[in-house]
Amino acid sequence: MRKGSKNSPHKGILPSIVIMIYLLIPLVVTVIYSLFRKWTDIVPEGFSLGAYGELFANQEFVQSIGRSVLLCIVPIAITVGIILLAMFATTLYFPGLEKYVQMICMIPYTIQGVILSVSILSLYVSSKTFLSNRLVMLFGAYSVIIMPYIYQGIRNGMRTIHVETLIDAAQMLGCTKLYAFFRIIVPNIISSVIASSLLAVGIIFGDYVLIRNLAGTSYQNMQIFLYQTMKSDSIKASAVFVVIMCITFLIAAVTLYMNRREKNRK
Amino acid sequence: MRAKKTYICLAALIPFLLVALLYEILPLIMVMINSFQPDQGSGFTLGNYTTVFTKLIYQKAIINSIKISVTSAVIGILIAFIGAKAVDDCRGRMSYFFTTVLNMVSNFAGVPLAFAYMILLGNAGWMVHVGQRLGLEGLANYNLYTSGGMSLIYVYFQIPLATLLLIPAFDGIRKEWQEANALLGGSGVGFWWHVGLPVLMPSIMGTFSVLFANALAAYATVYALMMNNISLLPIQIAGSYVGEIQIRKGLGGALSVVMMILMVCMILITNRISRIYEPTSRKRGECA
Repeated sequence: MRKGSKNSPHKGILPSIVIMIYLLIPLVVTVIYSLFRKWTDIVPEGFSLGAYGELFANQEFVQSIGRSVLLCIVPIAITVGIILLAMFATTLYFPGLEKYVQMICMIPYTIQGVILSVSILSLYVSSKTFLSNRLVMLFGAYSVIIMPYIYQGIRNGMRTIHVETLIDAAQMLGCTKLYAFFRIIVPNIISSVIASSLLAVGIIFGDYVLIRNLAGTSYQNMQIFLYQTMKSDSIKASAVFVVIMCITFLIAAVTLYMNRREKNRK
Repeated sequence: MRAKKTYICLAALIPFLLVALLYEILPLIMVMINSFQPDQGSGFTLGNYTTVFTKLIYQKAIINSIKISVTSAVIGILIAFIGAKAVDDCRGRMSYFFTTVLNMVSNFAGVPLAFAYMILLGNAGWMVHVGQRLGLEGLANYNLYTSGGMSLIYVYFQIPLATLLLIPAFDGIRKEWQEANALLGGSGVGFWWHVGLPVLMPSIMGTFSVLFANALAAYATVYALMMNNISLLPIQIAGSYVGEIQIRKGLGGALSVVMMILMVCMILITNRISRIYEPTSRKRGECA
């Protein structure tokens, strides 16, 4: 709170509360909707958790959760791996190439999901090789779309430690550069890698455009499942919504916690 | 010997380049090439671009997209300004709680958001019922399924993002300036108009271009509500590639290129505007 300010220290509270109410109303209403059998008037009637019971008994839904998890893990592992390798080469051997790596990593930020998905689709859909596999296309597209975030995370992490000094010290003690990079540098920046990976989880988990355009309804993850359910049964869909919301908030909470810890450490 | 070893290390770049080439660079090049080719067959044509700029449906898609992106970005920034100022005013538990909510909600978009708004303001939505009961015409007759009705959802997803981007900028406004302003008899409004806004301008412009891009490319929310029955750029682009009737690569390519150009233009314009304000802020930084 500011000292010496003429205004009361509470002056920012009202707008904060108004904005929070605006942001939370749609969520709260949908949560309530999922908990009642009927809501055609102002007050809902018939409390029931039936929609949730039904949902978790539904094999398709449980599978869609698994698919969503898989879709997050594989691309993030790919992107973290390839960017770490690229950073190994650029920081230790070819510092001149660094700016090109950066440029390639930042382009996806401006292309956005719609254009990326349709262009990948039209390029590989008629290919006779494994490239036309919908899941492969999806992994590739997600790997590219999260590149800016993972790159930034790794880059920021490396800025906070003395890469050169650490590598030199390790080499003096008889390590190879490769060993030094992956056993000393990477563990030192692991918290930034995790923080940016979590951000990427949030992005992939919330994505709809890439999966719809690249896989259609053939690979049903949670977002597609919600979309399909929403057209037939709105109470069931609102239960799906609540599950998605809880997972999204959990991811966001862990990300925020990691970022705040990171900030405090600095 | 040493040089040879160094070049082996170049191999570490290969996986990265391979993924980037296959899923970023080649697709992007293909879109551009497609946009200059007829939908069927090969050859060079500007026909796709003439179609985009002369057919009413595509003109409308471009204009609608720009309109909704600019409107939602402007409203988003106005509310975010109030929000970020509020965070700046009340440090402590309240602002911690508020930024936590903003972070949570900023992840929340796409299909789930569209669904929540259907429950809230759709044809049989709760707010619509409330409006009917209380005799509030505006709420009772709210039509979510128009581009005007939908803009409320756009504003919704712009607010958390815009506020989170603007909060750090407020750190640049020093308490001393406000005090000096007060000592010299200046008003609060005068301070924000003459000092606050110009200092914040580069951040506001940067945020604006992010919001514009965010709204321009928004697809899931719109598609979940309207399917393909609305004229907006992302919908038309996706429609021409994964359409039910026929695939029109060339047209989709031209629309994609137009969308990318719009984004780049907005970045250039906002950079230009913020540069007008930057020299003064740099000088200020040197003095401090």
